[in-house]
Amino acid sequence: MWIKVIGALMIIFAGISLGFIAAFRFNERPRQIRQLQSCLTSLKTYINYTVMPLPEALAASCEGINGPVRDFFSCSANMLAQNPMITPQQAFVQSILQLKGQLLLEQPELDLLTTLGANLGKVNCEEQEKYLDMVSQQLANIEIEAVQTRDENVKMCRYLGICGGLLIVIVLV
Amino acid sequence: MQIYWQETIFPILPSHIIGLLQKLSLNILNQLSEIRIRVNQPLLLVLRNNDYAVTDNRGQNYICDISDVDKVLQLITKNSLYTLEQELKGGFITIPGGHRVGLAGQAIVAGGKVKTLKNFSSVNIRIAREVQGCADSIVPYVIATSQRICNSLIISPPRCGKTTILRDLARQLSTGIPKFKFTGVQVGIVDERSEIAACNRGVPTVNVGQRTDVLDGCPKAEGMLMLVRSMSPQLIITDEIGRQEDVTAVQEALNAGVNVIASAHAATVEELLYRPFVRELVENKLFDRYVLLQDYPCPGTVTKVIEVKTNKLLFCLKTGVRVCG
Repeated sequence: MWIKVIGALMIIFAGISLGFIAAFRFNERPRQIRQLQSCLTSLKTYINYTVMPLPEALAASCEGINGPVRDFFSCSANMLAQNPMITPQQAFVQSILQLKGQLLLEQPELDLLTTLGANLGKVNCEEQEKYLDMVSQQLANIEIEAVQTRDENVKMCRYLGICGGLLIVIVLV
Repeated sequence: MQIYWQETIFPILPSHIIGLLQKLSLNILNQLSEIRIRVNQPLLLVLRNNDYAVTDNRGQNYICDISDVDKVLQLITKNSLYTLEQELKGGFITIPGGHRVGLAGQAIVAGGKVKTLKNFSSVNIRIAREVQGCADSIVPYVIATSQRICNSLIISPPRCGKTTILRDLARQLSTGIPKFKFTGVQVGIVDERSEIAACNRGVPTVNVGQRTDVLDGCPKAEGMLMLVRSMSPQLIITDEIGRQEDVTAVQEALNAGVNVIASAHAATVEELLYRPFVRELVENKLFDRYVLLQDYPCPGTVTKVIEVKTNKLLFCLKTGVRVCG
């Protein structure tokens, strides 16, 4: 009897955990997009006002934030500083690959980052600013959409987890 | 043996070109004054007296392609073209070590002025040398008293060692020269092209003396006035005067009681008279000394030193005149 109860509790707990993990992913995406936006805004300042070279500007722009987005920027900055032969785009693509499980971004924002990489460092400050503004604008749009998806899905995932766990228990009992 | 410029030049060259250069004899590398990379042309090294085309493993001339030029540019700008906006307008970039990288390509013009360059086709890397003691032969003519210096204009065509001599003059005049009982003066260098002091992040990477302040990357005219106001130098050293505002600033500095040593492009003093603004300086006899240089037998050879006020020849390489300064 007790073994059944413990087993049932474990199944319910697993269901809840799965639900919460799925919900965390939906929660995390808009947060990382916001962090990206703030990094890109600082990057714009470092490029435009202090005219820092790209490796230093990228490293400086992620100061003050934590987590995978910071790792993405510092990783790209390191790559560019250590091997000046690679282009910013290659550095971005490699960093995205390295941080795969942690960077909870989806294809639209990842594509945006890759094209940003292709356009960094090739034009003058003024054009650079325009481009970064455009990217920030697009990120803002993506964020709105990500927040909507989050609102729709977070609660559903949690309920689904709990209910799924209960369902399995009921079926098995 | 390590060639002194390897440390600063190799980081801006693609690896296969470094490989080719490393195979060359020390004699060639020691004489190197320019590396010229032109699209679809051989990789050319300009030595002291002749040019040398670099050969590849098969013994044929190595022909540069567009990717070589792009790679050099990528390495110099560290993937950040925007940091060099101003420099690109001028057509050259100064890299750590004070080496000047000249660029040619397609100019983009907006409103009658060059906005930037694109589609680069040629790169010329000019190796800067720090030759301590190269101004020894000029120093006696430049020093007036133990604290005063003659206003001097160093005149020569390009590639005769003007900048190298200015750098050594700055070092000697600011440190002091015991031999002439010269105690050293406060020197201000306006280094518009970061060539004299070869500054890296504002700090000189070559020895320019212990009493020297460097205004790096600052336009000459504005810089000279800024230095007079802020650092109260006794001597201002600057390179390649030519524009109207430069000439005005030199006049201002001289009238403020500051000595000036500058350089100008010309082969003779008479040639300077044909140049629109520098002409004023010559006509008004604002300088005390003209120092003329030539590149034969080696860059930095002094041909004449002229006392301007009396038009007396203080030193002449040809006739062997040598009046102690």
